[in-house]
Amino acid sequence: MQILTQLIYSGIALGMIYAVIAFGYQLTFATSDTLNFGQGDALMLGALVGLSLVGAGLNYWLMIPLVCLFGAFQGAVVERIGVRPAIKIKSEFGWIMSTIALGIIFKNVAENVWGRDDLKFPSPLPESPIKLLGANVLPMEILVVAGAILMMLAVEFFNRKTIYGKAVVATFNDRDAAKLMGINTGLVITFSYALSSMTAAFAGVLIAPLTLTGATMGAVLGLKAFAVAIIGGLTSGMGIIVGGIILGIAETTTGFYISTGYKDVPGLVLLLIVLAVRPAGLFGKTAIKKV
Amino acid sequence: MTRLTQLAIALAAASVTTFAMAADPIKIGVNGPFTGGSSSMGVSMRDGVRLAAKEINDAGGVLGRKIELVERDDEAKNERGVQIAQELINKEKVVAVVGYINTGVALASQRFFQEAKIPVMNNVATGTVITEQFAKEPENYVFRNSAKDSIQAPMIVEEAITRRGFKKVAILADSTNYGQLGREDLEKALAAKGIKAVAVEKFNIKDVDMTAQLLKAKEAGAEAVLTYGIGPELAQIANGMTKLGWKVPMVGSWTLSMANYIDNAGPGGEGARMPQTFIQEPTTPKRQSFIVNYLKTFNPKNSRIDSPVSAAQGYDSVYLLAAAIKQAGSTDGPKIKSALEDLKTPIEGVVTNYNKPFSKADHDAITANIPVFGEVKGQRVVYAYPDDQKKASEVRVKK
Repeated sequence: MQILTQLIYSGIALGMIYAVIAFGYQLTFATSDTLNFGQGDALMLGALVGLSLVGAGLNYWLMIPLVCLFGAFQGAVVERIGVRPAIKIKSEFGWIMSTIALGIIFKNVAENVWGRDDLKFPSPLPESPIKLLGANVLPMEILVVAGAILMMLAVEFFNRKTIYGKAVVATFNDRDAAKLMGINTGLVITFSYALSSMTAAFAGVLIAPLTLTGATMGAVLGLKAFAVAIIGGLTSGMGIIVGGIILGIAETTTGFYISTGYKDVPGLVLLLIVLAVRPAGLFGKTAIKKV
Repeated sequence: MTRLTQLAIALAAASVTTFAMAADPIKIGVNGPFTGGSSSMGVSMRDGVRLAAKEINDAGGVLGRKIELVERDDEAKNERGVQIAQELINKEKVVAVVGYINTGVALASQRFFQEAKIPVMNNVATGTVITEQFAKEPENYVFRNSAKDSIQAPMIVEEAITRRGFKKVAILADSTNYGQLGREDLEKALAAKGIKAVAVEKFNIKDVDMTAQLLKAKEAGAEAVLTYGIGPELAQIANGMTKLGWKVPMVGSWTLSMANYIDNAGPGGEGARMPQTFIQEPTTPKRQSFIVNYLKTFNPKNSRIDSPVSAAQGYDSVYLLAAAIKQAGSTDGPKIKSALEDLKTPIEGVVTNYNKPFSKADHDAITANIPVFGEVKGQRVVYAYPDDQKKASEVRVKK
């Protein structure tokens, strides 16, 4: 029993790491039907900028708002350079290549600025584990879970209750109609990219003390987060959390009960099943596309 | 064509001819991962190579010619290694190549050098099969001056089972060629002692959670964990142990000495032990001058070489090659190869003194008696056994 509890704890912690990254995919999809495939790299940049600020003597908690600002700026740049031209000419796939390309550029810049090695991110909380119901958790893992839930609530609140959120939803539902109603859809899309990279940067500093920090940290994490976003549904904050937990627990339990060589398989099989049965994701709204 | 470009072309042509009139430099390829998770080994190796090349050039070069290094980053990717091999052979026309950190990259790339009859000096990669890949062919162009896995694995087992008396051990290895070939060697070495590992687990590069692997080892009652992986993931193993509150000794391949393991594991990584061909201690005058020059030239953080073993082996590999070129009196691949197989003059190196390090049948310069055990202590690698340190000034030579 203790083993299972430990596996579930670690699975949840791992899943939440994926979930905080996955939010970024959702935010841009919600306005422009596009995804920032450089999400993992936005995460990496956030973590490295955070590391530099902490290294310069700044307190961890004070550093977070600065990193968020940096992330927002970085996201706006991605949208202006990579996504807007593609949307303008109604290119179906241009943004895929341009966001990937920008991601690679960011990675190379990071390699030159911060070096190529994995670095240690000093943990703001004690690094000794806490006993909880017979199994161990790290204080930092609890912080990540709290951060993920906070982000989910913030996103849901923003979309449902605020006028800006309604503009975002309207832009998603029908970009042209929203434009006719006086919503500056271009600005909304830029804003969503800024928000998306901001969450990624925030996620970066949140998870960096648990994972390692380095120019290559984004690649695998970004991909796993993408799987979470698909499983949970690209339109649901709740879905991201649940998707993350499912993928995380699937990884740790398969690793223990079946084989560590196959631990990534069940999550990805689930991804395939979800795509076949419910393409909008477990919690996604099924969009009916009228042509 | 404008006047300016004509002028530029004329100038370029002129400079090419002046180069050709001076003695052509001897081009040596340097191939390793200078980016990514293996980079602390790759960069230290490259710096060791640069140091040796500079010393040789300052002393007048080889055959009156300067050594020119052609450095390429293989990113620890097999396919990059293959591209680089072709570039070094066909475009750069190198005389020989030193390097290879990753066993997989070495195995994928060196066949091109074998076909082109260009000697390869593996100075870091440890996969046992590397020097045996072309052993059956009449001419084998692959040499090595690092401690191969079939030396390291029995050392690890000897340390864990015999010296420290553990009965139950778990193996954690990564899913790359390096990790899986090492795991095989470990299992063989354990079987020779009549022991079977209680758990054999795998992990991927960039994995951030080791709970499942460690819980399996714990449940199986492992008293020690034997590892075969590289720095960042090894650090995650140590961190995972801290998290689970389950701390058993880690004994593993030489990669436990990598700076990115030591830094990322922090206090949780202390006490890990691994075979080392070189420990950053000035135990002989040669080693002292090497360490002093290295620190002066490259100025690494906290005066700690990121991967001392890679740096020392990289340094020695150039001297071995230079000696062979000198003896051959030529930069012809087959002649250098024959000279390497029958080096007449002994070479004083950092790792050991090389006296006939290679023969026709044996292309490995390092034998089982040369490596010692290192231990992570106070964020550095030190001698695990005081006896080894006392005797370190007696250089261990190939038997």
